[in-house]
Amino acid sequence: MPNAVAIKVLVVDDQNSVRQMTRMTLEEIGFRHIHEAENGVQAMETASLQPLDLIISDYNMPEMDGLGLLRAVRGHPVVRKVPFILLTGRGDRELVVKAAQAGVNNYLVKPFTAAILREKIEQVMGKLS
Amino acid sequence: MASLDQLKQTFFDECDEALQQIEAGLTDIREGQQSDDTVNAVFRGVHSVKGGAGIFGFEALVGFAHVFETLLDGVRRGSLKATSDTLDVLLSASDVLSDLVQMSRAGKPIAAGFGNEVRSALQQIIDGDKGGAAAAEDDNSPAPADFDGLDFKPVPVNLDDDASAADALRCYAITFRPKAEMLKKANEPLYLIRELRKLGELELMAQTGEMPALSEMEPDRPYIWWTGTLQSSAPRAKIDEVFEFVIGDCDLEIVETNAAPVAELVEIADAPPTAPQEASAPLPPRATPVAPVAAPAAAAEHPEAVSGGRSAAAKPAATTTRIELERIDRVVNMVGELVISQAMLGQIVQDLPEGTSGRLAQILEEVIHHTRELKDSVMSMRAQPVSSVFQRMPRLVRELSTKTEKKVRLEMVGETTEVDRSIIERLGDPLTHIIRNSVDHGIELPADRLAAGKNEEGTIRLSAEHRGGRIVIQITDDGAGINSERVLKKAREKGLVSADATLSEDEIANLIMLAGFSTAETVSDISGRGVGMDVVRSNIQDIGGRISLKSERGRGMTIQLALPLTLAVMDGMVIKVGQQTYVMPLSAIVECLRPARTDISNLIGTRGMLQLRGDFVPLIHLGDLLDIGSAAGDGGESVVIITDAGEGARFGLVVDELCGHQQVVIKSIEESYGSVPGIAAATILGNGRVAFILDVEKLNDLAVSSPVGAGIPTKAAPVAKVA
Repeated sequence: MPNAVAIKVLVVDDQNSVRQMTRMTLEEIGFRHIHEAENGVQAMETASLQPLDLIISDYNMPEMDGLGLLRAVRGHPVVRKVPFILLTGRGDRELVVKAAQAGVNNYLVKPFTAAILREKIEQVMGKLS
Repeated sequence: MASLDQLKQTFFDECDEALQQIEAGLTDIREGQQSDDTVNAVFRGVHSVKGGAGIFGFEALVGFAHVFETLLDGVRRGSLKATSDTLDVLLSASDVLSDLVQMSRAGKPIAAGFGNEVRSALQQIIDGDKGGAAAAEDDNSPAPADFDGLDFKPVPVNLDDDASAADALRCYAITFRPKAEMLKKANEPLYLIRELRKLGELELMAQTGEMPALSEMEPDRPYIWWTGTLQSSAPRAKIDEVFEFVIGDCDLEIVETNAAPVAELVEIADAPPTAPQEASAPLPPRATPVAPVAAPAAAAEHPEAVSGGRSAAAKPAATTTRIELERIDRVVNMVGELVISQAMLGQIVQDLPEGTSGRLAQILEEVIHHTRELKDSVMSMRAQPVSSVFQRMPRLVRELSTKTEKKVRLEMVGETTEVDRSIIERLGDPLTHIIRNSVDHGIELPADRLAAGKNEEGTIRLSAEHRGGRIVIQITDDGAGINSERVLKKAREKGLVSADATLSEDEIANLIMLAGFSTAETVSDISGRGVGMDVVRSNIQDIGGRISLKSERGRGMTIQLALPLTLAVMDGMVIKVGQQTYVMPLSAIVECLRPARTDISNLIGTRGMLQLRGDFVPLIHLGDLLDIGSAAGDGGESVVIITDAGEGARFGLVVDELCGHQQVVIKSIEESYGSVPGIAAATILGNGRVAFILDVEKLNDLAVSSPVGAGIPTKAAPVAKVA
């Protein structure tokens, strides 16, 4: 059973407010190792510098968007197996299909509650302790 | 940790940026600079507003942004054309979005039908595209956790079977420095090192450089620390686990160096083997000269990674930080107080007997230098680009041109020019007023413009730039300019100008800034309510700025605002007249001199003229003007300060003594005393006394308007007269 405290998660979103909100929600669930990045390019830098256990990324970002990041992660020798959860808006159905093809582990529709976020993470990582 | 309210604040700040981006993008597209990037940027802006609004629960905002976004998405995909009509709707949508953001920010209730007109216009364009399928969703329902009917199965991973982590041998650079707390909690560093050794090939070197002599050694303090490498197939989490219980009680750096630097590893191996077991006993500093090898090298390569694994607090290097304005203001105030204390210190040092203060004066000089740099740094923190004011103008012009049925294009240049926040805040109203005037009175109706041989569409150009320690904002229009006959006639009717005065074109133009002047024949709903340019002028003067106006009949006019960069601290010249001390803004001083009596001529009808390198400069005796008397009598031993009163008008201010240049903190007196003619503000000097800061431009006006005898100055404008 994975322990939320031990899981190193990277939150990727260009909007600071949303990023902080996601961080607060993760902390509510029990996460303590939370890294942040503002876009795909920054996320890849962070991911290549330290081991990560989970990436939660927004889709809509400048520089490299969420789908681009997903593809970059899956193509990277070191981080290619890191679980990836994509944040989408409520209209972005097609995006989820594309993301599934690119190897996303799960998706999450914004806005979300702590319970839903936990559920989505548990679907990927197993029950959190 | 940030509270929800703070996060909302951050969100609204982001909204302001996004709205600016939307506005700028749409304007670019309208001007024919459409590219995928601009459309994407606009889309992203609206999407960000929507996303954040959803998270923070501003439903009205989400609903509107959604329809807005849907239309933009169509444009982005190319299924919708950005025609001029579509762009008009998009621009109004950006205005509505901006209103919604403002209302949400202010916590005002939003009327149910707000923005419906624009919303249905958006919807209409979308429906024309594909029957409204995309926007038909019910936006007021809570976000679904899953898309209905979408065949998506979450892909679980098995963390225990971490194949990717296990298959490769990794190399970690480790720096481990226990703190005293760690020993106090009975955690034994050596135990940790033994645990680490179980994970793989461990090469550690004890750093004993900080080991004191035995007599100075405190038994409960750790002096030894370790650097080295671990080659292991264990995942990072396993290594972190070893240190789990001491994480706050030691400095720990674990950096994964995937390509283990072979040469350096050899070097470690070659170094005198300092077994961890030995290290617990006090050793002679044998290993000290050998620099810690692997860890710092890796750290230098990836500076961001150094603290990477330690805690959640470690974030990737951010380029900007948001700080509450209050906090910066507090620093600004403290810097102000520091400047005052420093001036007081300077005074004391100056009063010390000769020869005792040499070193002190030298240090004080350094303090002054650092204070100045500190002030500049803080001021640059408070500086904001003028774009925050400029961004409101396109909308204003758009609304006014619709109302007046004129065609107006707004060009903006230099929006990134930075100026102190306090100036920005007080720039909005005057600028709005000037732009209103330009559209209402300046730009002609399309038909009139065509008849005059001009482009049907009028242009207003708004620019900002730094010039000589000030920021210059210029508003130029290519409208009709000022009708000088009409202005002059009006001014004579109102008794603002005597019937026989002859005035130049520019002087006439400047009459419109006199109080109570308004020429608009019909009081329009937009401008011309009688409080016009005079209010603008006093607003600008209140913040230490100057306004000037140039008009060319039939070709348009230009209004120039020259503003100080800050309102908090300035460079001043301390002067003395009679028993009084005043401060003059250094920026207003051209030169100071002590003229010979023969250089001063008392012409009839003036206060005296100074002959200066072939020119005549009118003199103003400050002591007489402020009715405080002068120690030097009629100017024999006086100092003359040549000042620039704006628009090239020079005059010489006669004072008794110059006491030196210093930075002064500006303290407004308006709140307590109202506006005093000739006095801009007050300050506190090094000796703790209060001195007034002179308003040079107003002094000139005062001198000009006060009656003059034949070369003998009369007493005028008592200093304490409160307006």
